[in-house]
Amino acid sequence: MKIWLHETALIFRDKGILIFVVFVPLMYPLLYSWVYTNEVVRDVPLAVVDDSDSHLSREIVRKLDATPDVSVAARCVDMAQAQELVKRHEAYGILRIPASLENDITDSRQTYLGLYCDMSSMLYYKALLLAATNVSLEVNKDIKVDSHISGTTDRQDDINRMPIEYEYVALYNPQSGFAAFLIPPVLMLIIQQTLLLGIGMAAGDSRERNRGRLTPSGRLYRHPVSNVIGTAIPFLLLYVLMAVYMFTVVGRTFTLPSLGDYGTFVRFAIPYILACIFLAMVLSSLIYRREDCILLIVFLSVPLLFLSGLSWPVSSMPDVWRYVSYLFPSTFGMNGYVRISSMGATLADVKSEYMALWVQTGIYFLAACAVYAHDLRKRSRQVALAKA
Amino acid sequence: MTILKRILAISRRELRIYAGRPLYLSCMVVAPVLCVLMFVTLMGSGLPTNLPAGIVDEDNTHVSRTIVRTIDALEETDFSRSYASYTEARQAMQRGEIYAFFYIPEGTTRDAISNRQPKISFYTNESYFVAGSLLMKDMRTASELSGLALTRETLYAKGATEDEAMAVIQPIVVETHPIGNPTLDYSVYLNNIIVPGIFILLTMLSTTYTIGIEWKNGTQKELYRMAGQSSSVALWGKLLPQTLIFTLMFVLCDVVFYKYMQYPCRSGLWSMMLLGFATVLASQAFGVLMFGLFTGQMRMAMCLCSLWGILSFSLAGFTFPVTAMSPFLERMAALFPLRHYYLIYVNQALDGYPVSYVWTSVAALACFILLPLLVLPRYRTAFLKRKYKP
Repeated sequence: MKIWLHETALIFRDKGILIFVVFVPLMYPLLYSWVYTNEVVRDVPLAVVDDSDSHLSREIVRKLDATPDVSVAARCVDMAQAQELVKRHEAYGILRIPASLENDITDSRQTYLGLYCDMSSMLYYKALLLAATNVSLEVNKDIKVDSHISGTTDRQDDINRMPIEYEYVALYNPQSGFAAFLIPPVLMLIIQQTLLLGIGMAAGDSRERNRGRLTPSGRLYRHPVSNVIGTAIPFLLLYVLMAVYMFTVVGRTFTLPSLGDYGTFVRFAIPYILACIFLAMVLSSLIYRREDCILLIVFLSVPLLFLSGLSWPVSSMPDVWRYVSYLFPSTFGMNGYVRISSMGATLADVKSEYMALWVQTGIYFLAACAVYAHDLRKRSRQVALAKA
Repeated sequence: MTILKRILAISRRELRIYAGRPLYLSCMVVAPVLCVLMFVTLMGSGLPTNLPAGIVDEDNTHVSRTIVRTIDALEETDFSRSYASYTEARQAMQRGEIYAFFYIPEGTTRDAISNRQPKISFYTNESYFVAGSLLMKDMRTASELSGLALTRETLYAKGATEDEAMAVIQPIVVETHPIGNPTLDYSVYLNNIIVPGIFILLTMLSTTYTIGIEWKNGTQKELYRMAGQSSSVALWGKLLPQTLIFTLMFVLCDVVFYKYMQYPCRSGLWSMMLLGFATVLASQAFGVLMFGLFTGQMRMAMCLCSLWGILSFSLAGFTFPVTAMSPFLERMAALFPLRHYYLIYVNQALDGYPVSYVWTSVAALACFILLPLLVLPRYRTAFLKRKYKP
């Protein structure tokens, strides 16, 4: 209890720790949401080389221009001119319509449109490909019905165009937005990384002040378990607040998908935060100076995001890395949170992640106690040496 | 003593410091090597294949099974799981077992044969961006094919050959040519920027850390004496070993990517190595600038370097293009070394265009390298007067 108050006071007195555990979790989500606020890429500039220059080719170009994803930036006379535009990044793709377009269609031959895409960003490619495919499918249906199997009524034409209709539903992220995909896992990652940084810095700090030991001397800090719990409580309280802030304020302000239930989220967040705190204490056995933790922990964020399997599907990940990813609470935290907040999963649906987090909490708690016990033994040896 | 000798003496002292603690080498050598290894093996397959997906076939007829077979043949999807109802499939999706599912309602065949235009649906989980997008492409093709399969049967019945039938079904075909990355390899696209991004972050952090540690240990005056009262000599000596180590890391990364993994590299290895060297210098210069601005405040400098390094992954614009961000951020992007690395890399390795098309980025990297000149006078005061602040 006393340790708890003492540690709380330490956190609030140290500007360096405060930046990591209060300022960063508050501001970072806002910054990220601002960066990705537009969600999708619209009007990717496309250069058109229209060798056919016919009624049909002009219709294709017009339809492309009308799609939300693509805007026709230039009509070029030849490929060289269009390539120049791509090199200068004034266009991110070229559509080449062959001179034989009309003839091929009249003679019932397949004809090929060339779509050349700049691959500097996958999203440009995706936008161009989708728009071009959609337009070609639409034009194809018209050609099919008008020139080959025209029916007697408009409805008959409709059915001939598409004997089986289909619809496509993008669940949980209806506009395939980038923010809705990236921000929820990043929120969880921020919780883990700032906890590692904050607790690591606190550990480095006390080592600097207590001759390389994790805890100050004195009767108060003589028991490892109470040390671990006493240090954990202030961080836990602070971070439950942070998690609620991220779940509600950040989610609402930036209209991220939020199907999740409040109670479910809080019950899920508690083992996550605890696992992170105890992991941080275990890692603090490696940290001897305040600033060490920045050097060791910041760069981990990027690999951890990829290990979680949210970007790169777990099913095509080598087993080794899957096992490595089980070491970090963020893997389960991110996956569980995405399911709770974006897909409205209940605690039963994320049971495996939930249990895994409690298992981690248990293991890291014991490990943290061991680290502190080891440290206490060293301290008493130091004291004994000093007396001798 | 000449300037060169002084620099070398300081560098030797620096190497002795590195040998003293495992922290230095783990951040300068172990972490970069592990990152290269991890990202190369993590995305070793290039494109994810056999993503788990499900099928709900309530119709269960000859036609619906034909549709199922068509879909199952697609490379990126594994439709081995089938569910009895829509609700079951949705629950499986929430548990994260499948990324998508296909729904064929009862009566599809009946309606199709009697010309009543039935509707089939496919659902993808777009919370997983890469998986969702890949599946969408596949499922779109599949449902397009399933509809057309019926028309094709009609045409065959009327005596059309395959070519003729295809000319009716799909008169216009779009052929895509992704420039520079023809196999749409995701690892080429991600690793080429993420790994250098991590290197830049580590370079900036170790620069500020190693400079800051002098103040922390109170040895800055000794360093200043060794440098013959010159801040620039002191900095050169301190940072030279790191320049070499991190350049070596970039060289290693280039060799692994372009020689071993055979990622597209049209400009040749040398120009990418040169780019790596310039990037190391630019990031070190940025670290020096940060420490100079917050004279002696090692923690603030490191915090800002972390912020810069992490943000650069977003603002480089290789995942979400800069042009789609707000105009203010679009201009801000120029302040991040990774952004210029990315533009030059695309121009050189991916496309193999003349470097003149990205002269602005080359100039920007040069500006980064010159940044420390702005704060050299501040270092002088720092060396003489400032003390370490926690």
